[in-house]
Amino acid sequence: MLSRLILRAAPAALRSLPPPVAVGVLHTTRPVHTSQQRLAPLPPLPEKGGEVRHGLIPEEFFQFLYPKTGVTGPYMLGTGLLLYFLSKEIYVINHETIAAACILSVIIYAVKKFGADVAAFADKLNEEKMANALAVKNGAIKSLEDAIEAEKKEQWRVEGRSFLFDAKRNNVAMLLETNYRERLMTVYNEVKKRLDYQVALQHLKRQKEQDHMIQWVEKNVVQSITPQQQKESIMKCILDLKALSKSAQAAV
Amino acid sequence: SFFDQFSSPCLLGIPLILLSTLFPTLLLPSPNNRWITNRLSTLQLWFINFITKQLMMPLNKNGHKWALILTSLMMLLLTINLLGLLPYTFTPTTQLSMNMALAFPLWLATLLTGLRNQPSMSLGHLLPEGTPTPLIPALILIETTSLLIRPLALGVRLTANLTAGHLLIQLISTASAVLLPIIPAVSILTTTILLLLTILEVAVAMIQAYVFVLLLSLYLQENI
Repeated sequence: MLSRLILRAAPAALRSLPPPVAVGVLHTTRPVHTSQQRLAPLPPLPEKGGEVRHGLIPEEFFQFLYPKTGVTGPYMLGTGLLLYFLSKEIYVINHETIAAACILSVIIYAVKKFGADVAAFADKLNEEKMANALAVKNGAIKSLEDAIEAEKKEQWRVEGRSFLFDAKRNNVAMLLETNYRERLMTVYNEVKKRLDYQVALQHLKRQKEQDHMIQWVEKNVVQSITPQQQKESIMKCILDLKALSKSAQAAV
Repeated sequence: SFFDQFSSPCLLGIPLILLSTLFPTLLLPSPNNRWITNRLSTLQLWFINFITKQLMMPLNKNGHKWALILTSLMMLLLTINLLGLLPYTFTPTTQLSMNMALAFPLWLATLLTGLRNQPSMSLGHLLPEGTPTPLIPALILIETTSLLIRPLALGVRLTANLTAGHLLIQLISTASAVLLPIIPAVSILTTTILLLLTILEVAVAMIQAYVFVLLLSLYLQENI
């Protein structure tokens, strides 16, 4: 905008004017930033841009003319101006008019067709930017809240420490008791083994003595059986058998 | 005559060429301190980022030093070309002098960068791979010619495209205007053709700006 060029050069030039004029035009220089001081916070941008009618003419113009000329005022002004320029040949209709009509129709078509989409895209870019920043902030808050929760849990765990120690103490006592009893059992078993050994030794001795005695008695008896006695005992057996067989036959 | 639209603009004897060359850039919003900007600034930022990424992707780290000049050249040519389509405007890029002034130094810069930093690689580009041995001398001559004609091609391409487009618009709109009282039916047909031509010219304006900068980045790629 050329106005930007003028606004930048204006302050020095305007301040050199005579005082009444300088005061009057000083307000035009006020919005110019002469230093980089005000970096933040800037006032927020308004939600919607200035209202325009027919895409070009600000609504303020229509409101400005409304009290005097009503609703059709600006349109009459426009038509009148256009006809004035045409009739006085201040604006001459030539080939450029047709070219202008073509390019303007292309521009208007493009704006009407793609305007909303482009605006939505621009809004989406800004929304994504904000959403990313908000996500970072929320992520940080969430992680801190999780840390707080974890800390509280740890504090609760600390309260239950005494129960843990009691249980551990009981555990250890039980282990010691079990160990002691096991060792007692071992001692008992060992002692019993030694006593059993002694008992078995005595049994063996007794057994050996008995066997030896029986053997000696049998040997002597067998030696003392004479042939005569043998023959007599065999005859007696045969007579007994005969008698038995007779009594058996009689029974049958 | 039809070439009056290409004459350098003057107002009461004051040449306006500087103003007409620099004015289009004043229409682009300058970045300010805001984090969330208005739609125009957001779109401009997105667009410039898009262009810069596209141009700088094939280049190595040294080539990224050219990002500023290439992107700003792109924005300048784009705005100048598109604004030239409006009626009663002067398009600086229709002047061969301006286009050569842009093309020649930038091309020369790429050439000298290549010859200075990697001379054998730059000269090696003069011979494509896999050429049969007897053809080598002829091919080197051809490649050298093609190398030396690059700035001329760059400048003249842009000038010719834009001048031809503007001239065609003028001619067809003149035909339309002249035919209007005589035989309106043909005039309406001609106006339809003019409409299609206008759409073409919008496309050409954008494409020519892009091609200019793209070719410069390609020449840079070979040499950096």
